[in-house]
Amino acid sequence: MNSSINRRLKSWPGWALMLVVVVAFLAVGSTRSSGPQSPEDRVDDITQRIACPVCDGESVFESQNNSSRNIRNQVESLVRSNELSDDEILSFVDNRFEAELLLVPRASGLDALVWALPAAGFVLGMTGLIVAFRRWRADAAGLADPTDDDRALVDAALAADVDQDAGEGSGR
Amino acid sequence: MIAASLNSALGRGGLLLMLAASVIGALTIVLGVWQKDRRLLKQAPRYAWLAAAGSVLAVIMMQRALITRDYSIAYIQQVGSGDTPVLYNIAAMWSALEGSILLWGVTLAGFTGAVAWRFRKRSDDELVGWALMVMFVVTAFFAVLSFGPADAFQAGVPVAPDFNGPGPNPLLQNHILVLFHPPILYLGYVGFTVPFAFAIAALVTGRLGEGWLMETRRWALFSWAFLSIGILLGGWWSYEVLGWSGVWAWDPVENASLLPWLTGTAYIHSVLVQERRGMLRVWNLSLLISTFALTILGTFLTRSGVINSVHAFGDGPVGSWLLGGFVVIAVVSLALIAWRGDRLRSPGSIDSPLSREGAFLANNVLFTVFAFIVLLGTVFPLLVEALQDRRTVVGAPYFDRLSMPIGIVMLFLMAIAPVLPWRKASQELLSTRLFWPAWCGVGALVFSVAVGATGWAPLVAFGLGGFAAGAALRQIVLATRRQGWRGFVGRANGGMVVHLGVIMIAVALAASNSFTHSATLELDTDGVVEWGSHTFALDSVTVETNAAESERVLKANVLLDGEQVYSPAMTTYLNQGITVGTPSVRTGLAKDVYLTLEPGAEPGDSTAVIRVFVKPMILWLWIGGLIMAVGTLLAAFPGSKRRRATDAVSAPIAVGGPPIVRDSEQLVTSDPVDDE
Amino acid sequence: MTTSVDELTEPASTGGRSGGRLAPFIALGIAVALIGLVVLFIGADPDAPAPQGASPLLGKPAPEAVGELDDGTPFDLSRRKGSWVVLNFFQSSCIPCIAEHPELVEFVDQQAGLGAQGAEFYSVVTGDTRANVEAFFEREGGDWPAIYSDGDQITVAFGVAQVPETWIIDPRGVVQARFQGEVTAEVLSVTIQQIREGIR
Repeated sequence: MNSSINRRLKSWPGWALMLVVVVAFLAVGSTRSSGPQSPEDRVDDITQRIACPVCDGESVFESQNNSSRNIRNQVESLVRSNELSDDEILSFVDNRFEAELLLVPRASGLDALVWALPAAGFVLGMTGLIVAFRRWRADAAGLADPTDDDRALVDAALAADVDQDAGEGSGR
Repeated sequence: MIAASLNSALGRGGLLLMLAASVIGALTIVLGVWQKDRRLLKQAPRYAWLAAAGSVLAVIMMQRALITRDYSIAYIQQVGSGDTPVLYNIAAMWSALEGSILLWGVTLAGFTGAVAWRFRKRSDDELVGWALMVMFVVTAFFAVLSFGPADAFQAGVPVAPDFNGPGPNPLLQNHILVLFHPPILYLGYVGFTVPFAFAIAALVTGRLGEGWLMETRRWALFSWAFLSIGILLGGWWSYEVLGWSGVWAWDPVENASLLPWLTGTAYIHSVLVQERRGMLRVWNLSLLISTFALTILGTFLTRSGVINSVHAFGDGPVGSWLLGGFVVIAVVSLALIAWRGDRLRSPGSIDSPLSREGAFLANNVLFTVFAFIVLLGTVFPLLVEALQDRRTVVGAPYFDRLSMPIGIVMLFLMAIAPVLPWRKASQELLSTRLFWPAWCGVGALVFSVAVGATGWAPLVAFGLGGFAAGAALRQIVLATRRQGWRGFVGRANGGMVVHLGVIMIAVALAASNSFTHSATLELDTDGVVEWGSHTFALDSVTVETNAAESERVLKANVLLDGEQVYSPAMTTYLNQGITVGTPSVRTGLAKDVYLTLEPGAEPGDSTAVIRVFVKPMILWLWIGGLIMAVGTLLAAFPGSKRRRATDAVSAPIAVGGPPIVRDSEQLVTSDPVDDE
Repeated sequence: MTTSVDELTEPASTGGRSGGRLAPFIALGIAVALIGLVVLFIGADPDAPAPQGASPLLGKPAPEAVGELDDGTPFDLSRRKGSWVVLNFFQSSCIPCIAEHPELVEFVDQQAGLGAQGAEFYSVVTGDTRANVEAFFEREGGDWPAIYSDGDQITVAFGVAQVPETWIIDPRGVVQARFQGEVTAEVLSVTIQQIREGIR
């Protein structure tokens, strides 16, 4: 009795309800705004994307030295004047300092590789998995008629499993 | 002067002993195998103990030199100082290149000794012999590094008798974590040498069954745990010391520690497939070898000056040696795998992508791609410089952007995989087993929306975090119901505890990265400043100089929320003339308030400028780390009595056969469709 | 048991055989990637060339550097245009600084011999006191000016984290070279000569 309710709950109605709840809450959560972003938080966001000009590998946000502070102040005044978008501020800083200061590599030229290679790696990995599964499936199909060797193997494996279960059983 | 030369002489003597013992040990084993002389093989452990003793002697002499401030040694001139407090003076050993190589050496010699001890009764076994030989060779390599290119006991330029050194880098002497983070991280790095050595031994002897995997299971598990905890402690140190309020900056040095962790994590998952099904042999070997090679490569990257980083130290010949070591490892391993290719072909097949094996494979693809991304981003500036002679920087935003989707997919896998049976899962089985875990996820989502979280990425992360936690809890609950307290131990159950820790860390990272707010506040002693539901009142600006007059600490004492005074500070190390900001943090379960002092304040001022960061859930990073550690212990100590009971029964098929020990994954397969 | 498994895979492994076809290519790919990586590292290996440091400031106008000399006169780097300026960031208790000092003495002597063509040499005091610095020059020799700046501004502006460092600034006020760690008189004078002749 109890179990049949349980089972029915866990088939499609329960899951459908879950889907509705998830979609509703995700929609509410991701569309509602948490109020306008404060200038301070905007400055943090932007400075995290600018490299400190005189240190090794730190962002302006992280590093505590004077040139970083200068850039930070500059970004802050740009943000306060509220005329430029984040990207415009970044390109302004980029042009002003001539050196490569943007921590997000561009998606053009050689730099595009840094974006393309991970994507390629992921596709390659997934393709490899799919190919492997196809092949395993073909293998399994080829073995439809078990040979005597197969049977022996299965028996042995089963025997091992039974041993194992006996071992487990003591704990139960 | 006699004392001075004593430190250097005995230290070098220790290193020489370590070098000689490991070389002789390696030769003994090769000779023993060659002549099939068991007596020789049985002698090998003694050399391991000698090597360990030698390295310990070297470390003792280094510590003695540090304690006595023996400035006749160049390394002590570099990192020693009469003003360094006792504890940081101990840690000074690993605050620069030569000493950190020495620390690596002693850890490695310790592991070699431990392997020799653990397998002392089987030292005439060829597999153990070869594994020990690999350990000896690696130990000898680091002994040579310590002896030559990174000589910690080199004599320094003569200095005046009243000379006082600068002490270690100021960042390495103002937080207690510098005592723990490097040694624990090194335990992790170096620990992976053991499974690597057994992997090579298996390749050499051709005993490529699952035997060697079983032998090194716990070694790999513990190394992985130490590496995880070491990395987390590094993040903690960064948070407490560096003053930019973050735990992870995707700095090359941090990436170098993450790389072996990623491949190591992939390994401890995919190894289960091999233990269970005898498959993926080449893949597991490759993961182990990559893990070990990446520890060496990471050390090369950060210790050769090739890649610049705030955390990197040292350049010089040691870089070429490490690169050489990396090349040797890669070439030897590839050659061995190619040689044993025919024996490595795995029997059997994986039936369905929707199975435990399938989930592990997907996990492996993700971790490998992640490792590839981290390596690519780290070395990409070198590539651009080589091809176009142009400076680029690849920084945190790049890694953040790419790791976010990977993290989300990993959380999803963590939710699904624990309920998947081996072989094949039916849709019905999935829909019943995943039901309550999925509702946990929905609960987490609803809760986070209710407390005001916004943005789809963090919400998805929280929801999936809840889902994954539900799946992990389900396993633990079912197992404890069935087995009582034993439901917590064993690999599957302990592994789920580790998962819970990882989920906490993932959720905490998502929360703290997405919902941090900051402000720069000008405080003065007359008024109270309000910002984001907190109040700040400046009490005073004070200055303290320590007794040795080596540090001057300028503090702004700020009353936070009218409750307690926090004192963000600027510490000036007078010997080095370096000023370091020291944050002050109020930690809480829900959020941290992180205060730093901006420069410009003078003692006695009535005003000060501070920066405030409000960061949610930071504490859960450390709690998650603790739970991971506990989970690893639980996973590593299954009821050993239970195993012995099965030993006798399945002993005859021990060699090369299917694994004998399956811990309690068995439970998952035999999991009833529902539990009424 | 193992043997039976092995025998079994032989006839059945259509997949195994095609894996055999694929394996060499995968191995080749890995080998090529590894070789590429190692070549990259060897190329970037800093051991090989002179110990010159990289800095984003190289080729750029020098940052603002204002301070006071040991005799109390003000110093402003931007006013030194027209002559070569060598800045040596140092601290009296730093071991490499002590070690390189004789080389610096030699370099300053050489440059003095060149008259107006010679480079001006300054020690930029980094986190040290006047008394210590004066005692240092008393003990180790050399009598060129030392620059003190408030809060070590100059050191910060150049992004110097660890002394000693030596920087070369050309007569136009452009940063030309940075040396991290110890330098020798020869390296310094040869570098200046090379830049002058437009070799670099």
